[in-house]
Amino acid sequence: MDDSTILETRDLNLWYGPKQALLNISIRVPKNTVTALIGPSGCGKSTLLRCFNRMNDLIDSARITGQILFEGDDIYADRTDVYTIREKIGMVFQKPNPFPKSIYENVAYGPRIHGERHKEMLDDIVETSLRRAALWDEVKDRLHEPALALSGGQQQRLCIARSLAVEPRVILMDEPCSALDPIATAKIEDLIIRLARDYTVIIVTHNMQQAARASEYTGFMYMGRLVEFDRTQQIFEDPAEELTENYITGRFG
Amino acid sequence: MVEKFHGELRSLKRDVLEMGYLARDMLQRAVKALETRDVSMVESFDRDKKRLADQDHEIEQKCLRLIALYQPVAKDLRTIATALKMNTYLYRVGRYGKDIAVLVPDLVDTRDSGRLADIPLMADLTIGMITDALTAFEREDLSVIQDILEREEKVDALRYDILRESLDCMKDDGGSITWCTDCIMIARYLERCGDHACKIAEKVHYMVTGERIEIR
Repeated sequence: MDDSTILETRDLNLWYGPKQALLNISIRVPKNTVTALIGPSGCGKSTLLRCFNRMNDLIDSARITGQILFEGDDIYADRTDVYTIREKIGMVFQKPNPFPKSIYENVAYGPRIHGERHKEMLDDIVETSLRRAALWDEVKDRLHEPALALSGGQQQRLCIARSLAVEPRVILMDEPCSALDPIATAKIEDLIIRLARDYTVIIVTHNMQQAARASEYTGFMYMGRLVEFDRTQQIFEDPAEELTENYITGRFG
Repeated sequence: MVEKFHGELRSLKRDVLEMGYLARDMLQRAVKALETRDVSMVESFDRDKKRLADQDHEIEQKCLRLIALYQPVAKDLRTIATALKMNTYLYRVGRYGKDIAVLVPDLVDTRDSGRLADIPLMADLTIGMITDALTAFEREDLSVIQDILEREEKVDALRYDILRESLDCMKDDGGSITWCTDCIMIARYLERCGDHACKIAEKVHYMVTGERIEIR
């Protein structure tokens, strides 16, 4: 693992019961970049994303072999604390899922359960996180209103702010714009690009134009395999694999 | 939607080829008219020039529409990018044909019109290069343009031969100045057409392989 790699998998295999969902995935995710994972439904891209912060541990039938290294350390090692991993590697889901609490409490929730009790400190974290998620100006005068009263796009940015509040290194996003209109999508995409200055973002998307617009690296997955991983411009201008070319140009099947 | 897009892409390629053959034929007819002293061969050039300009406009519009509506990627995108560039090169080729055609009526009346030096040979080489570049685009086959640089070098050499011969001729015979100057111009136009054939070959290479090359 070189200095520029923050997450790496080595010969990663994953089974859901008898069905193998990931086959020998070896990928190096560069630090402070946006990496997109694309591929048809069922190709394993969300499964791979969920491996990065051990979300698949929550599925009883899931079993893995191989290694996943975060900053060089095996996240499945006995000494590794899964909660620390999920603090360092946050996740934003397809459908905005704010807690049924106020805007402020949504963002303060993470730091609170990690032991932060000082109000000034929490205020500071809430403001910083909301600013980083490009939501502060829209909500600063109504921090104590219910989060569920926000629009879909605002709710998704709130979820991003919530994940930023515990100071992660990596943010995983599973189709974060699929429930949003084009304007809200554009705001999230701008935000994703800005976030990559300070964080590493890995995004799963069905929207190839989104991958092309927002990411620097793209991985194309098919039937549980990582077919190709390269700079996004290379993937969309001149992919090395015919399978990738056929998928991105719609000549699939 | 994908079927529709690929149908439109095939239609775009056909349009580019149609424009290419018109541009090439304009060049070919202009030189043939010089050789045969047949002014009637260039009578349709105003109409051809208008048709060429329309095709240029239509192809550009079609390319921009396909990009805006379908956001093409990979080879589809490279094909459209190639069509856009070829459009410009082919327009220039047709215009050089027109520029040569403009000289035909005056030249066939001069006493020197039998002395065309190597212009027909140069035209054959250039037209062959354009034809093969179009074939490479149509078939996505680079083998037909593999030797295009050597052919381009021959065209360049012929241009300098014509230049030297014309200068000598003008020194010996002041009355040949008009004719020789026109020959120099025609050789220059043909040499530029050879350059455009090379540029088309470069773009076709990019379309097929994704790799950008410079032939010269």
